[in-house]
Amino acid sequence: MAAADLNTIRATIEGRLATELAKTPPTPVVFHNMPFEPTPNGSFVQCLTSFGSSEYLSHGLSANSRNRIVGLVVINIFSGKGVGPGANYVIGKRIRDLYNRVNVSGVFFDAPIGPEALASPAPEGYFQTQVRVTFESIEEL
Amino acid sequence: MATIRGESGSVQFETGSGSLAAVVGTRSWSLTTTKETLDTSVHGNTFRQFVGSMISGSGTVELVYDPDATGQAAFIEDVVKTGDAADASFELFTTGSSSGSDSVAFGGIITDMEISSTVGELVTVSCSYITSGTITSNLE
Repeated sequence: MAAADLNTIRATIEGRLATELAKTPPTPVVFHNMPFEPTPNGSFVQCLTSFGSSEYLSHGLSANSRNRIVGLVVINIFSGKGVGPGANYVIGKRIRDLYNRVNVSGVFFDAPIGPEALASPAPEGYFQTQVRVTFESIEEL
Repeated sequence: MATIRGESGSVQFETGSGSLAAVVGTRSWSLTTTKETLDTSVHGNTFRQFVGSMISGSGTVELVYDPDATGQAAFIEDVVKTGDAADASFELFTTGSSSGSDSVAFGGIITDMEISSTVGELVTVSCSYITSGTITSNLE
C-alpha cells in the first residue's frame, strides 16, 4: 500500500459535485484558488475542501499500518437576493443528497450539516446558505 | 532506547501451520503475566513465606477490522478452531518486528473474539487469549 494521495481524495469529493451541478439545471461551481465572476442575481456554488488532523489507527509505523485522514467540505450556495430561499434550497438538497450516507472510493462522508442560511453573505448581494460535510479516509501503508 | 509510543508496536501470529507473520491492522495489545505462589510458612514463622510457582499469561489484541488485511482472518477465526491444540504462536512487539527483540513470545489459544459495528465508528475486533507453555520475554 502507499500513502494516501490527498489530491485524489479532493478530486473524488469535488468531481462528484461538479458532475451533479453540470446536470440540468446546470449551476456554476467554483473551487479553491479559481477565478470566478458571478452573474448578478444568478445562482452559483463555491466548494472549499480542507484537510484537518490525522490520527494513527493501528500499530506498524510506516508499514502495515492504518491512519485516519479527516477533512471538511464547506459548500456555499448563492442565489438571487429578495426572491425567497426556494431556489437556493433546491440546490442545497441536490448537494446534501450527493454526500448523505455515501462512501465513494474509500472516502466516508458524515451526516451533512445544513443548508444553513447565513446572515452576512460573502460576496454581498446574494442569498447564501452553507452545507458542511466532514469526511474521513483510511490511509493504508 | 528511549520511551516508546504505542503505534510502534505490532503483533505477529501463526495458527500452528505456518510461520509468524504480522497481523495488519492491530491497534492495541496487552499481556498480563501471573505467577502463582505457594505458601511455605511453617510453625515458628511470624512472617508468611512464599515461593514462586506456575506462571501463566492472558491478554487482548484489538484490531481495526479489514477483511482484506494480511493475517486478520486467520487471527480472528482462530477462536472457532475446534480441538485446539494450543499450537498457535504469538509474538507481541513493543517496537519493531525483529523476532526475539523488544517482544514477548508464547504459544496460546484465542479464547474470545468480539466484533462490533457501531454507527459512525470503525468496525473493530477484540480478541482475548491465554498463554500455553513457556512465555519468552525479550523486553529488556
